[in-house]
Amino acid sequence: MSDATSTTPRSGPHQVLLAFYALFTLAAGARSLVQLTTQYDEAPVAYWLSLAAAVTYALGWYAIREASVGRTGFASVMLWIELGGVLTVGTLSLAVREWFPDASVWSDYGIGYGFVPAVLPIAGLIWLRRQQRSHAVG
Amino acid sequence: MPSVSTQITWIVVGYAVLVALLALMTAVRKQERPGWLDQLAWMLEALLVVRALAGLGAFSGDGPPSTSTYVGYLIASVCVLPIAMKSIEGDRASWSAGVITVAAVAVGVIAVRLEMTA
Repeated sequence: MSDATSTTPRSGPHQVLLAFYALFTLAAGARSLVQLTTQYDEAPVAYWLSLAAAVTYALGWYAIREASVGRTGFASVMLWIELGGVLTVGTLSLAVREWFPDASVWSDYGIGYGFVPAVLPIAGLIWLRRQQRSHAVG
Repeated sequence: MPSVSTQITWIVVGYAVLVALLALMTAVRKQERPGWLDQLAWMLEALLVVRALAGLGAFSGDGPPSTSTYVGYLIASVCVLPIAMKSIEGDRASWSAGVITVAAVAVGVIAVRLEMTA
């Protein structure tokens, strides 16, 4: 175990981020699986994108947990991928409406979830920057 | 007059908002998580269990329009808070109150969605 790992406090803002990521893994995963299995033909693109969002949140949860103990490499990739996904899907859902007869989790930048999907990776990146600084100093 | 489950839902939502606000205040003030906040959270869980039991009544007659969605919300409504409390077990730091804030808001939203899909 590295020094960084052993000196990292268990408590911190990452706990709130982890709670959000766990919730969105559950919400996006359950929603996409129900839609893919019961109404696949209505909007397959949107439903597959919701499943992709669920997988991204699960990986994001793992990445933040790792970053909280000093291993920031995976999170610094994963959070940018998540932000890219939200911005890409959000823009496509506004620009190419016919691809989204039903909404995905990231449609309209996550408006169905109070824009939390758009805020979450930004909050994660801000926390990660501070985390990297504190480990660089410490 | 609204049904019993609808009335319980609004009690749950109001109580969830109260718990979320108190937990948020604790986190913002950077105070150690007080014991009474845990008790409030478990009271909220008890209300959610009552709401879930009342929600089983939706299966009498024609049942909810989307059974799988309804069952998903029903299960999530009683599982979220215990998982959140387990994740902060033994940790009294202020950020642990932030986790209760997130969980309380989530179960409030789930309760509303449960009502909408019944």
